[in-house]
Amino acid sequence: MTPNSIRPKDLEDNFWKNRGIDINIGDIVENTSSPTDNEKIEMGPTPKPSVTDLRSWDMKLLKRYPPFYAPFCDMCCLCTFGKCDLTGKKGACGIDIEAQQGRFALLTCCIGAAAHSAHSRHLLEYLIHKVGPDFPIDFGNNIDIEAPIIRTVIGKIPKTLGDLREAMSYMEEENLHLLSACHTGQEGNHLDFESKALHAGLMDHVGMEIGDVSQINALNLPKGDADVPLAELGIGVVDREKPVVLCIGHNVAPGAGIIDYVEDNELEDQIEICGICCTSIDMTRYSNRAKVIGPISKQLKFLRSGVADVVVVDEQCIRSDVLEEANKTGAALIATTDKMCLGLEDRTDDTVDNIMGDILSDRIKGALVLDPEKVGELAVKLSQEISTKRQKHKILPTDRELQEEASKCTNCGWCVRVCPNNLPIMDAVSSAGEGDFQKAEELYDHDTCYTCGRCEGECPENIKIMSLMAKVGQNNLDKQKFKIRVGRGPIQDVEVRRVGAPIVLGDIPGVIAFVGCTNYPNGSDEVAKMAEEFLERNYIVVTSGCGAMSIGEYKDKDGKSLYEKYSGDFDARGLVNLGSCVSNSHIPGVAIKIANIFAKKQLEGNFEVIADYILNRVGACGMAWGPYSQKAAAIASGVNRWGIPVVLGPHGSKYRRLYLGATEDKERWKLNDMRTGKVIDGEPAPEHLLYAAENREEATVALAKLCIRPTDTNKGRQIKLSHYIDMRKKYFGEIPQDIYKFIRTEKDIPITYKKEVLEILENNKWEPREIPMEPSILDFPKNKVGD
Amino acid sequence: MNERLIPWQPTAIAGPKQPLLVTPETAKHMIKKSKRPLFVVGPYAKNEPLLDFVSKIAEKWNLPIVTTADTYKTFSDVEIDSTPYGIVEIVNLLKDPQWQGVNGEGQHDLVIFVGVIYYIASQGLSTLKHFAPHLKTLTICKYFHFNADASFPNMNDKEWHNYLDKL
Repeated sequence: MTPNSIRPKDLEDNFWKNRGIDINIGDIVENTSSPTDNEKIEMGPTPKPSVTDLRSWDMKLLKRYPPFYAPFCDMCCLCTFGKCDLTGKKGACGIDIEAQQGRFALLTCCIGAAAHSAHSRHLLEYLIHKVGPDFPIDFGNNIDIEAPIIRTVIGKIPKTLGDLREAMSYMEEENLHLLSACHTGQEGNHLDFESKALHAGLMDHVGMEIGDVSQINALNLPKGDADVPLAELGIGVVDREKPVVLCIGHNVAPGAGIIDYVEDNELEDQIEICGICCTSIDMTRYSNRAKVIGPISKQLKFLRSGVADVVVVDEQCIRSDVLEEANKTGAALIATTDKMCLGLEDRTDDTVDNIMGDILSDRIKGALVLDPEKVGELAVKLSQEISTKRQKHKILPTDRELQEEASKCTNCGWCVRVCPNNLPIMDAVSSAGEGDFQKAEELYDHDTCYTCGRCEGECPENIKIMSLMAKVGQNNLDKQKFKIRVGRGPIQDVEVRRVGAPIVLGDIPGVIAFVGCTNYPNGSDEVAKMAEEFLERNYIVVTSGCGAMSIGEYKDKDGKSLYEKYSGDFDARGLVNLGSCVSNSHIPGVAIKIANIFAKKQLEGNFEVIADYILNRVGACGMAWGPYSQKAAAIASGVNRWGIPVVLGPHGSKYRRLYLGATEDKERWKLNDMRTGKVIDGEPAPEHLLYAAENREEATVALAKLCIRPTDTNKGRQIKLSHYIDMRKKYFGEIPQDIYKFIRTEKDIPITYKKEVLEILENNKWEPREIPMEPSILDFPKNKVGD
Repeated sequence: MNERLIPWQPTAIAGPKQPLLVTPETAKHMIKKSKRPLFVVGPYAKNEPLLDFVSKIAEKWNLPIVTTADTYKTFSDVEIDSTPYGIVEIVNLLKDPQWQGVNGEGQHDLVIFVGVIYYIASQGLSTLKHFAPHLKTLTICKYFHFNADASFPNMNDKEWHNYLDKL
């Protein structure tokens, strides 16, 4: 719809009294998936919402959760008026520091959304080219709501791959409008920048859903099966005696091409195919031959180890110097997408033999090949040739050589200062110089050092600190063997039917989603420890991408991974690996399904009603403990707009913007009870929409609190508050002093803590509150006022 | 350039405005002059010797303490009174000129930071620099904080402990 279109919701007050105007109530969509094929679905008010169509929803959210800005830089450097210093003054274009932060939030989300969506567009067109536009979207008998985001936002049910093009085109246009608002002399208000950032986040989720729905169907990846197998994970699982092909990035197309070639030519036992980051997760969804090295934190240390004979890069989160690093070890590099050409010659139309000849004779450093099938053949043949010529076992320096180099350390300390986490790198290097590698091993374990390489770039003695880390890993390969559950894709409708009520009523205390990158403040095992704590407490834990890999790298005291210990069911104590980055769309996806299946809310064109339902009823919370990318920012903004809060690790504060609840102002927490028509006192639930915690202990307690929702039953609220109090006592040694805010009646008080809670209630002059029947932050329909 | 005056994490340079480099004497003067100071203490202060320094400084100047992350538990165990807040929560409250402070006596006019993780502290100080003109910030970590109004320089432990001793 165009911004000036009249929508049914604009007319709800005097709908039948309006005369002399043309009314467009939107498309009538045939719902062929229902038992009665001729049943018609009336479109909701906002199919294909434009940039401003959901602005009123955003402003409601932003009133409760005003943006909290932490400028990363005082200046704006985007136009030639500048640089402009915005400290206490406006820039030459008139923008102030607040609007500039909103602008940056929008820009960040636009970049993130574009990365996922361009990936999805590439994948969609490639798969349509491969299997045809009429290839059906069919998730089998257990999933009828195949694409809940697209259904809600676009208002249509995609039946074929070709149908997804409509959603793709829509969101590409929206992304263009959003990015244009970042230009100098466009938007000037910080809240409107935020509204647009939330829209960019929503578009990100449309894009991600298109990507995963496409690949699940066309490549026959798991379709929501809870009992998917375990895959091998870790640097130690690779057979280094075989030719090794390493894929890095997020787009499965070239990886699938490699797997196809290996299988078609019966080379399964002769070639090792492994991957880093989300592309590896998707490769294991495609074939059990593939192995996962790990998240992006493994990238530089694994490249330096020289194990890979051929490095295949696709897109996103790949080191910009990957060609240089691959060449250092004598590995060949193949770039495979337009996103990352690395200055390489485009050899897509050349023969595999010609390209191989040029690489093997060192005439070229690598090649750009944009045909995934050709990449498959080229990568495998190259690995077979190169592996016989390289002495890859001798690429890393010996321990003695490393000791000699490390002994050059002058203890200047700059490696520590430039480290994002100020890790004790200098101590590790100094000790290595004395032949003691213990401190380096401590940094290596759990990716405490995620090998960004800044220390090495800073070292005035040019000590190869990253090679030291790679060597430490190579010396301890047996410790680097783990398991990860293969990504299952969406949650099945039947599971939603089973857990919808317990989630909405509070019997299952919450759904925690561990997502995001590996910019961890203190190592990857913190993510797994948090997941373990919530699993033991009967929460549902879902995960994806790097978070899923980090969880897999942790073993409990019995030597078991959490994937081996907990089932893959979407149920209490279930640990669900959804899949890769684009699989994050299934997180709001399942919340939408709860609104539709459990509460019978119509999806098509009905974004605000669905998001309002999720915000007030679905106790889900995201956790991005190591956020680093613009994609992570877009994902968080997207789920925020759907009404799901997110906790970030401390590095998340560098996104410049959080959404913190205005808890001191009771007026902002009032709720409209749609059942009774009354405005009632609410509670700060969820208290924040986007929060950054300083350490794991704080984050754990925050997650428990952010699962509280106004619709919890007394029993459900008791369960949620028991966990909140338990964890607060465990990590803070006190009963939470804000507990009175979440007690509506005395029946909400957990029995175990009754005496202590009653004391706090008394100190705060607490009085019981009404429990809403249908809580909402939406306005009452005007014809209901005064009923 | 004087290495003591480059932000501890060098890329934390934010812009042209620089903080005042303070000695213990200047810091004491700032605290003395303040009507409603607040001491914000992060998780690095869970360990000695910073825990002991914090305790003595707070007692000497009668500073109300806000503990961030899970620092509250350690402080409670050693019977040091504090109010727990997340670092982003307390910064959010401090930027509100209407907030009445931890004791309900009015918004604070000086906030002294120590022991908070460097980069998230830097972000919080940036918030206060831009959006809390009603208060001043002082950091007494061993790291130079570019977004503070006033900061100790980068120091080694020995020198830093000497500085803290003088406060």
